[in-house]
Formats: sequence, structure tokens, C-alpha cells
Amino acid sequence: MGVLDKLFGGGGKSGKGKADFSDVKSGSSSTAPSAPSQGGVAQSRTYTVVAGDSLSKIAKREYGDAAKWPRIYEANRDQIKNPDLIHPGQVLNLPREG
Amino acid sequence: MSIHTYGMARVCGLAFILLASGCGKRDAASTGDTGSGAATSAAVRVADVKVGRALGADKRVTDETDEFRPSDVIYAVVETQGSGANTSLQARWTYQDGQVVDESTRSIAASGEDVTEFHISKPSGWPQGKYKVEILLNGATAGSEDFEIK
Repeated sequence: MGVLDKLFGGGGKSGKGKADFSDVKSGSSSTAPSAPSQGGVAQSRTYTVVAGDSLSKIAKREYGDAAKWPRIYEANRDQIKNPDLIHPGQVLNLPREG
Repeated sequence: MSIHTYGMARVCGLAFILLASGCGKRDAASTGDTGSGAATSAAVRVADVKVGRALGADKRVTDETDEFRPSDVIYAVVETQGSGANTSLQARWTYQDGQVVDESTRSIAASGEDVTEFHISKPSGWPQGKYKVEILLNGATAGSEDFEIK
């Protein structure tokens, strides 16, 4: 076991650093109606950036179309200054399609 | 002497007024009647959190467990009670040392007893180990469940 395994727990199958959760799919539903959106902002969920991510990769994964990356960029202008530069650990808002 | 008595009377009178006004406010708050009939999100509370492999049509867990297989879809079901026109529920899924797996937020118009489910899946399979789902109600932790992938 290396130093990295000790640092990161080494609990995953790979045993090398952080586990890769980049392909995780998530969703939700409720017996309660959705709250009315405020100020015209559509409901969103969040996504935590992992190493190797880009806005187009996230858009491809979340919306099935890499060309929809500006949708994510626009929803996160407060924390993304350069759309070509996002950082692991950043929590991005992913607007609902609709 | 008379000055001292007058001073004491003023102090007692002021204390009485303060007590009376305080009681009045408490009485008004205890009725819980806003007059508009609209309750605030503060009235909503998380009654229960369960994790499992499958849901019924009512969105409640039908296969409750805390041990999953790498190929499972994992459901976290949150039961809430109370009313709030804009209630935010968030599920934060973490792995072992706190690595964030996913975060999802859902805003609901809660009314009475509601059931909200969050689910995650991983086509390439979940790494084995211990996980946790934390439920936040309007940004504050309201419950959590630990589970394991074996």
C-alpha cells in the first residue's frame, strides 16, 4: 500500500486515490408538486466537478449533447470565469431542460 | 424617602409593562395563525429517511436495505411533514472519507405528508465501501443514512 492509499483510504476497487464517480446518474421525484420557480429561474440540481471534466463533457453526460455546455456556463457565471477552466470540487448548478 | 418610593414605583411600573408586552407577543405566536392560511417552510420537518433498492408507486421504499451490490440503483426516500410553498430538499451522497458522489436538490411545495425520493446509479458499477446520504432541509442537515456497497 502506498502513501496515496493511506491518504485517500484506498477503499475503492482501484485502490488508487479518489474513486471515479464521473458517470454517476441521479434523479429525484416527489409526491409533492414542484415549488414554483422564483424569478424565472428553472429548477436545477448540482454536480461536483471531478478531474478530467469539461463543460462539454458534463453537458454530453447530463443533456446528451455536448453543444449544450453554454447552458451550464450561463447558470454558473458567478463561479466560472473561463469556460475552458473548471476545477475538481467545484459544485455546478445544472439547469433542468425544458 | 418619598423620592425613593417614587423611583421604586416607576421601576415596578416599567417591569409590569415589559412583562405584559412580552406575554402578548407569546400569546400571538402560540396561536400559529398567520391569518393568510399560508404556512412557512419552517413548519416542514423531515420525519424519516430510508434507503433501499426499489420503490413502490407511492415512492416509498419496498426493498429497504443498507447493503447494496455494485450494479444497484440506490434510493433515498425522505418523508416530510408540514407545509411550505418553497421547501428545498437536498441529497448529498458521499463515499468513505467524504468524497462527494453526487448532490441533488429538489424544491417542493410541501403540504401535509409528502414523500420525496432521490436516486443514484453508476453504469460502470459502484466501488465497494461505505457510503452515506445526508438529507438537507432548506440547507440544514435533517437526517442521514449510512450504507455499504459489497
